[in-house]
Formats: sequence, structure tokens, C-alpha cells
Amino acid sequence: MAFVALPAPLGAAPAGPGARPASRSRASDAPVASRTLPRLAIGHALLIVLAVFSIFPVYWMFVTAFRAPEDALSQNPFVWPLDFENIAYVWNTIPIGTMIANTFGMSLVLAVAQLFVAVLAAYAFAMWEFRGKKILFLLFIGSWLVPFQVTMIPNYVLVSQLGLLNTIAGVVVPNLCSAFAVLLMRQHMQSFPRDLIDASHMDGRSSWGTLWTVVLPNLKPALAALGIMLFISAWNEYLWPTLILQQSDALIQVGIRSFLGQEGNNWGAVMAASGLACIPIFLIYIVLQRYVVDAFIRSGLK
Amino acid sequence: MFVPVAMGAGTREATAPGAPHVLARRRRVRWSSFTPFLYLLPAVALLVVWVYAPLVQTFGLSFVDWNLIPTSPKTFVGFDNYATVLTLPELQQAVGNTVLYILAFMLFSLVLPVVIALLSRGIQGKAKTFYQALIFVPFLITPVATSAVWRWLFDENGGAIPRIAATLGWDLGNVFRDPALVMGAVIVIVGWQLLGFGVLVVSAGLAGISPDYGAAASLDGASARQIVWRITLPLLSPSLVFLALMTILLSAQWTYPIIDILTQGGPGGASTNIYYLLYQFGFRNFDAGLSAAAGVLFFLAFGLVAMLFVEISERLSFHDN
Repeated sequence: MAFVALPAPLGAAPAGPGARPASRSRASDAPVASRTLPRLAIGHALLIVLAVFSIFPVYWMFVTAFRAPEDALSQNPFVWPLDFENIAYVWNTIPIGTMIANTFGMSLVLAVAQLFVAVLAAYAFAMWEFRGKKILFLLFIGSWLVPFQVTMIPNYVLVSQLGLLNTIAGVVVPNLCSAFAVLLMRQHMQSFPRDLIDASHMDGRSSWGTLWTVVLPNLKPALAALGIMLFISAWNEYLWPTLILQQSDALIQVGIRSFLGQEGNNWGAVMAASGLACIPIFLIYIVLQRYVVDAFIRSGLK
Repeated sequence: MFVPVAMGAGTREATAPGAPHVLARRRRVRWSSFTPFLYLLPAVALLVVWVYAPLVQTFGLSFVDWNLIPTSPKTFVGFDNYATVLTLPELQQAVGNTVLYILAFMLFSLVLPVVIALLSRGIQGKAKTFYQALIFVPFLITPVATSAVWRWLFDENGGAIPRIAATLGWDLGNVFRDPALVMGAVIVIVGWQLLGFGVLVVSAGLAGISPDYGAAASLDGASARQIVWRITLPLLSPSLVFLALMTILLSAQWTYPIIDILTQGGPGGASTNIYYLLYQFGFRNFDAGLSAAAGVLFFLAFGLVAMLFVEISERLSFHDN
């Protein structure tokens, strides 16, 4: 078993999605009937239904958040003018700005640390032959099969012995190594041109210097895609933060959960808080959509 | 590859294929024999401390009775925890639910994506990018926000779904308190998150299949149906196996936040799954031994399933190479 990149879904990220598949499909793709008009109509209809199904709950969340509180139960699918009372209420009731900042910082630290640890390990796997390589590699693949829930009690005990219960550090430290990131980086490094490494070596650079001046600058797109993915995963992590931060609302997952418990059916406020919790990820997605989708889809397992 | 080992470390480095320091001065060659271990050290140490040592500890805990309080003693009870856990009706219910969840998620992560991707494969270019951008959004939503918005959509006093159901003459009531409907609601919520991801993975797989195969078969007189079943789907099998394996291994993880926030496994355990049960054993009932014993059993079961899938995917991997 090995992690491999599935065939590029949207074309290589920088080249622009669609360009290559479009020209190819006109020529010879799907020879049977799939280009005919009824077929295309069916395809569009299906994708429109799917897109509406996917977007509607998110849309409804923001529509409810922007309604005036007294209209919370309105079923009008449009809301105008926008009312910011719910958002103001959330802002004044819970320290949501701090929660978002904390979660952002936590996710950023975790993503950067996971990248760093993964780059080092992947470099070792991709560039050297050494004794025990296979076993060490299996250690990384095997960790993928250990569900977190199976190891959570000993981890919890260790975090509490380290005095990190109810701290953000307690959330970060046990997740510093992402086996998935190691396997993905290893793939990128294995396909790195060996001539460049040999040349760097003949120039007298150490392996450390080679890593930072030759290998990593050439892997920027891969590092960016993986980094974004690790950031989003860290942001959306639920189980471990809720276990570690039982008496603290420092992170968004925990904070919004207690807000849900307190506010119950105050839907305008609850939707406003949930919407705020999603905004940073949405901003990343809007700016870097291609990289995000590419990173999640291509990191397949074959 | 074992021969060079006998020739000593330095020679091994020099003959190992792909070693970057082949041309190094003698000092460097010796240095490089443990350099890779230095690079691996942080990652391996973290894995050992946070994954493998805890795994061993969990195995140890499964033989003791302990309430998670550091000062209280751990009493050795042998296989009692296993005996207890295997006869617990809660466990049987959780395992049954988990299997049902997995089967239901297969619809959203595998069957529907294949159908949708095949039927819409003629759509390319900007339109395709636009649709894909939208259908991937649910996969990115924070679990608390997902739970909150669906709780609102399903709310019996003014939620959109019960209102629509009411116009069709169906009184939904509170789905999260209804043993007959609660699993369906959780399946819809998690399925909503999975569907777009599945479609994108299958579309990516389809885009990677050379159209020449279909064209050749078409020239030979194969029908559209034959091409799909005999050529497209077999060539797609790596993506399909990937999605199936993801669904089996991760669906209990994906379901966990939704269960924790919306149903707490209820009513009467109707919506619980194995991971929520582990959490309850450990952090609600403070029965570390029971949680550990159940965890060990699940770990072994999932390990077997995963190995089975690796075997299957290796059999399938000769295609299109």
C-alpha cells in the first residue's frame, strides 16, 4: 500500500483547470454519446441539483445569520437589507474574535510544524538507502491504521502528566507528526531530479544545505498545497480539542459547541457564530480554490 | 541488496543506488551513514510517543480495571474486560450501527459519485470548474458549523426540512429524538459532506483514463453500456477502492462530531457508533479498561479489513500501467 497522487483532477494547478481536458474531449474523449446535447443537458441538470444540495445549507446558515433576530423563523430565501444584529450579539456574548485568532494560530503552528517534521523525514526516505528503511517506512503507513480513539486514553493521560490539559499546546503537541504528510512529501521528493542533488553535493553543500537551497525551493507548489490541507484539517479537528479543552473555550470548535448549548434555539445567533467559524476557511478557499481541491483530491491512496 | 552490507558501512553507502553522497569525501560518507536517522528522528520519536507507545499502553489497559484517576490503582483483571465488552448490548448496537453507517455512506461516497461523474463527464472547462468549486464546499465546513446548521434545518419549530415535509403531509417531528429517523438524519448530514468529495475523486479518476480505450472498443462495436462496465469501471478501480477504504476506515471518525453534538448517541443508543462508544466508556463512564478492550478489538478488526483492501487493490493495480 502506498500513497500516490491520483491522476490530476483539474489539470496541473498552475496550468489552469479545464484547458487540457476540454481540448482533449472535443477530439476523442468518450466516443459514445456523451457529447450529444441531451447528454450534456442531463449532466448539467445533475450537477446543478448537486451544487444546490451542497450549497443550500451553507447559504441558509448565512441567510439566517443576516436576518433581523425577530425574523429568525422567516422562510424567505432572500434577505435584504442585511442585519448585523446577530453578529453583534455573538461578538458581544462570546470572545469569538479571540477564538478565531487562537484557532488560526493553532492551525498555522500545527501545519508549519507538521510540514517541517514531514519534510525532514521524507528527505531521509527519498535520498538515502539505510538499514531498517522498510520497517521505519511501515511505521508511518501503519500509524494510519491506528484510529485516534484507540490511543486517546493514554494520550490524554500523557498530556495531563505534562500539565497541558486545557491548553492549546496540549492540542498541538500530540499531532506534530502527520504520517500522511510524510508519505505525501516522500512521493514528491522521490520524483525530484537526482542530478540537481548530485550537483549541489559536488558544490560542497551539506545535505542540510541541499535540502533548504535546492530541494525545498523547487517543491514550493507541493509544500503550499500540503500546507493548506494540513491547516484546514487542523482547523476542522474536533475530537481532540474537545477532550483537552474541557474547561476552556479557547478554540472555535469548543467555544461554538458551548455556545450551541447555551443559546439553544436562538438560531440567528447560532448561525452567526457558525458562519464566523467558517469564514477563514472560506477566504482561503476563495483565494486558493484550485490548490485546495487539488491537494485534497490528489492525495489519494491506491 | 544484502551483499554490500557485509562489505562494511562505507562501501555500502558508495554502492547503494541513489545515495546522494556517493561522491563525498571520506568524512562525509561516514557522516551520511547516520544522517538519515537524524532527519527521521523527530517524526519517528513523535510517532512512537503519541501513536505506538499509546497503542501498547491501550493493550495493557485492556487487562486492568481503572477509572482514569492517576492516584487510583489499576487492578489486573485478565480477560474480564473483553468478556464484558463482547456481551454488552451497547457494543452490539454500536457495531451494527457502524456497519449500517458504512453501507449507507458507500451510497454517498461511491455509488452516487460514480453515477454523477459518468453522466456528467461531457461537461468540461469553466462549467466543470464552477460546479466542482461548489460541490466541494461541504467537505470544508467545520464540524460544529455543520452540526449547527443541520440542527437548524431539521428543527421541528421552523426548520426548513420539517416545513417542506409538512407541505407533503409528513409530520417529521424532532428527528434527533426519533429512534426511527435519527440515523437517517446523521447519514444525510455526513453524506452531504462526502458526496462532493466522492464526485471529485471519481471525476479525477475518469480524467486520467485515456479515451483511446473507449474509442477502440467503440470501433470494435462495443455498446456504451459495455464500455462503462468492461473498460471504464475496471480502469477506475483504484479510485473506487480508495473511496471504499476511506469510507470504511474513516466514516466512524466523520460521524463522531455530528453524533457528539446532535444526538449524544441517542435516543437509546439508536445513533451511536463504535468511536462514540469508546469515548463514552472512557470519558463518561471513566472505565478505561473497557474502552481499551473495545478499542483493541476495533483496531484488530479495522486492520484486517484494511489488509483485505490492500490485497484487493494490489490485484487490481495491474490495469493501465
